[in-house]
Amino acid sequence: MQKVKIFGMCLLVFFLALALMTPAVWAAEEYKVTVMDLREHKGLFDDPRPYLKTLSYKKILPPEVYARLTYDVEAMKKLWAEIVGFRALDVVGKIAPEIKPGTYTYKDKERYPELKELMTQDYYKRFNPGAPPFAGNFPEIKIVPTRQYYYALPIAEATKKNMGKTKLDDKGLIREETYMAGHPFPRPSGKFKANQIIYNWLKRYWGWDSQYLIQDSKGFAGSLREDNSQTAEGWMVRFKGRLTIEPYGWFDERAQNLGEDRIFNYKFLGPRDMFGNVITSLKYLGADKFDRMMLYVNVLRRVRVMSATDLQDVVGGADTIYADSEIFSQKLSATQFPYKCEVIAEREYLLPVTPLDGSGYMSSKGLELRDYEWERRPVYVVKMTQLDKNFVYSKRILYIDKETFMLHFVENYDQKGRLYRTSESISSFIPEMGMFIYGDNLCRDHVDKHSSWVRTFFTPAPWINRKHISVRGLFVKGK
Amino acid sequence: MNTQRLYGFVVVAVLAVALMVQPVMAKQFTVGGRTLNLFGYLTQGVAFSMHDDDYYDTEKGLQAALFNLHLEGDYTFTDDLKFYGAGMLSVDWVYDMKHDDRSWNDKLFTDSRDNLYIDDEYWQLLKEAHFTWTPSDFMFRVGKQIVAWGETDGFRLMDQINPLDQRRGMADVEFETSIIPIWLVRAEYFPEISTSWLQDLGFEFIFNPNADFIANQGIALGNDVGGIWAPNVMIPLAPGLDAHMGSADMAIKEPDTWDSDGYEYGFRIKAVIKDAFITLNYFDGLDNDPVLKMAAAPPGIGMASDGMMIIHPKMEGYYPDFRVAGATFSRGITPLRASFLGDVAPVLRLEAFYGFDNTFATSLNTFEKSDEFRWAIGIDWKVKIPWLNPRAYFSISPQFYHRKILDYPSGYEFSNLEDDNYMTTLMINTSYFHNKLVPLFFWMSDLTNDADMYKLQLTYDYSNVWHYTLGALILNGEEPGKSFHVFENKDYLYFKISYKWG
Repeated sequence: MQKVKIFGMCLLVFFLALALMTPAVWAAEEYKVTVMDLREHKGLFDDPRPYLKTLSYKKILPPEVYARLTYDVEAMKKLWAEIVGFRALDVVGKIAPEIKPGTYTYKDKERYPELKELMTQDYYKRFNPGAPPFAGNFPEIKIVPTRQYYYALPIAEATKKNMGKTKLDDKGLIREETYMAGHPFPRPSGKFKANQIIYNWLKRYWGWDSQYLIQDSKGFAGSLREDNSQTAEGWMVRFKGRLTIEPYGWFDERAQNLGEDRIFNYKFLGPRDMFGNVITSLKYLGADKFDRMMLYVNVLRRVRVMSATDLQDVVGGADTIYADSEIFSQKLSATQFPYKCEVIAEREYLLPVTPLDGSGYMSSKGLELRDYEWERRPVYVVKMTQLDKNFVYSKRILYIDKETFMLHFVENYDQKGRLYRTSESISSFIPEMGMFIYGDNLCRDHVDKHSSWVRTFFTPAPWINRKHISVRGLFVKGK
Repeated sequence: MNTQRLYGFVVVAVLAVALMVQPVMAKQFTVGGRTLNLFGYLTQGVAFSMHDDDYYDTEKGLQAALFNLHLEGDYTFTDDLKFYGAGMLSVDWVYDMKHDDRSWNDKLFTDSRDNLYIDDEYWQLLKEAHFTWTPSDFMFRVGKQIVAWGETDGFRLMDQINPLDQRRGMADVEFETSIIPIWLVRAEYFPEISTSWLQDLGFEFIFNPNADFIANQGIALGNDVGGIWAPNVMIPLAPGLDAHMGSADMAIKEPDTWDSDGYEYGFRIKAVIKDAFITLNYFDGLDNDPVLKMAAAPPGIGMASDGMMIIHPKMEGYYPDFRVAGATFSRGITPLRASFLGDVAPVLRLEAFYGFDNTFATSLNTFEKSDEFRWAIGIDWKVKIPWLNPRAYFSISPQFYHRKILDYPSGYEFSNLEDDNYMTTLMINTSYFHNKLVPLFFWMSDLTNDADMYKLQLTYDYSNVWHYTLGALILNGEEPGKSFHVFENKDYLYFKISYKWG
């Protein structure tokens, strides 16, 4: 016993000494925007402040980091138009040309019946004052001229360089060994056009290769009573196809050896029962390789392995299932809930976008969307028909931007053909960085009559390393 | 507990609650440029006996009115240094409400007031207080904390570091009220890994310097100490003549504060290998439960209100050495997923340890040592049963536990243990109305002693802050004086309101 005691003390001393002797490159400065910072610049409701100007990346990031992540705007515009073959503003205006930029109220629907053709059915129905059972109506819209959107130069250059190299197999599933970086199919075509469009989304560059995020959200019952409130922070890393933050290409050798695609660690900061819960979700490349999910459970003070096959259950209290994290992230697979994918329309729609200054907001009264801008956007409408009757959804309809491959809106239908859940992303765009960030997100459960309103802010974070996203992160960040 | 102190506690509790519900008490503050998070909850529960018969070991009608006020907060000084603190105030108002109740007094429940009315020991009021420093690949946590090992729920295998507070029995208790944080030093090292098979690795070292020895707070014998949860143990004195086992006069030797006899060490290796979470564990310390035997002195004798005698035994004991080495394993078993069940693969949890020379009390009123082996297996499986719940899954979690005493004697027994001891548990829950309504069923079966515990519960989350719980606990057993049989008269209904902020 005495010897064990001595050994134990020595071990403790050893660890301490090792820590103190470790070179002082412990971690690069962890600059980040916290939930408090975000709320100081933009409340979740009734706040029209232009937070993307007051909380700009130029102010947040160290100058050298900001400089590395900004590019020549004209060069980005030119290159991206060359890659996709068009600019959005040149291909819209064909449907309901009478609808010009300007401000319209819901009362104008009678005066301008063409609006019905220009908007999706869901948006047209919501073009009204706020009322139960859902958040997200809007009594007024401000139509602005269609903008050209583009991507950061490294993303565009990689997309161009790898154009034509990414292949699908005979089932329309990506052959991961042929994909390197960038958007794999910038000009979708052929038999598996729909699959290509979906892969452009699944391989998206939504934020940076390493990023820290904060999230602020509220949930509402059908009466529009607030019944849920959550805040969280997270660390996300893209392992393959890194273009904006070093290391470029693969994150490290381990990621390449293990076929790791992406990971996020997500820590709940509130409500009280959730505080200190930390989820880590590791996605692997390969259609049929199951992801890994682990959870630090605050009440148990333990790490629990979760079943990563748990795609269909609702994420606690939210209006989305695990397969629909980031609106839609279910892998295409021939064996696990396969889909038949088809493009059912290519046309323009009037869709909400976040103003470049971030001034759009939701009102607390009626939960109305206010001050967002509406643009005509060229859109692929992709229908995904689920071939396995045991999946929660029978089909999904995705509205994916033709110019950017960003997913605007998803409609999910249950096995009875009823509209079950919808999710829409009103992303923010940072022009000088050529980057979309999460922005605002509205999810609705049409069967249970419930809505969730979420604001997410990304901070590019070169300082993230394995220690933030590994199992260590669970124990360190957990309660 | 004198009246002044009581009023003081009540004032503090009311003030804390009043402040917490004010808009100014936001859950997050910025202090020195850093975020301070403050959270808390208060709960008020009531428990009612399900028995109409007047048993000596239970009280008809209202049995408990437990109030908990829990406050917690954390503050991050730097990216690598943070502090977490939590406090708890627990008050069982039934001692005030039944102060003049004749039955409550006759059955001596009122005498358990000192033990169960207000939890006012410092270590009960101050739950956790620790600093966490995470330089580079290390983590150091120093202070009053919880370290939870193991994979099983409901029974403890590897999870031996922190003592438990079970004075209030198997009631509807919160996690924060049942685990007792203790003063520990925890050091962890997570080296960088880049192999194709080993995905994560961590080394954990725990040291308990015995700053304050706190043992398991178990259910006490005798209504006058154990209160409403005191077990119903009958002592046969003669044919047709039994006596109640009453509160015991305990002389238990425990290590002095800072005494090295109370030092404890734990060492754990944690790894993720091919998506399985695996740990190897070693613990060398003291058992959180004492071993007890009858002392030489004769027992005390009393009379119960039902006319039977009460025997107050005199017992002596100590906290023996407890040394174990074990392992845990957890992984999703993806080949077992079935589309018609919702396509979720079950997660398998395995846990086992080997105990070296653990000490047991015997039926000969002696102490003996024996090695032992404990293991458990559990499954967590989410399945879809559309006709019962078309929208959400059912979580089904069965567990099986076996405890084998390797040098079990013949001719006499180890107290309350066979050479092979088996238990199972089963938990099932789901949710309705968008996670607002959560029914839960929990069953624990002591197979060795043919005894069962059933818990049925319904929780309604009106909002993030208001929660309501209604439940029932039912216990029975076939072996007199063993396992849940001693709690057979304690079936009760409970209702709890919770207000949570932050």
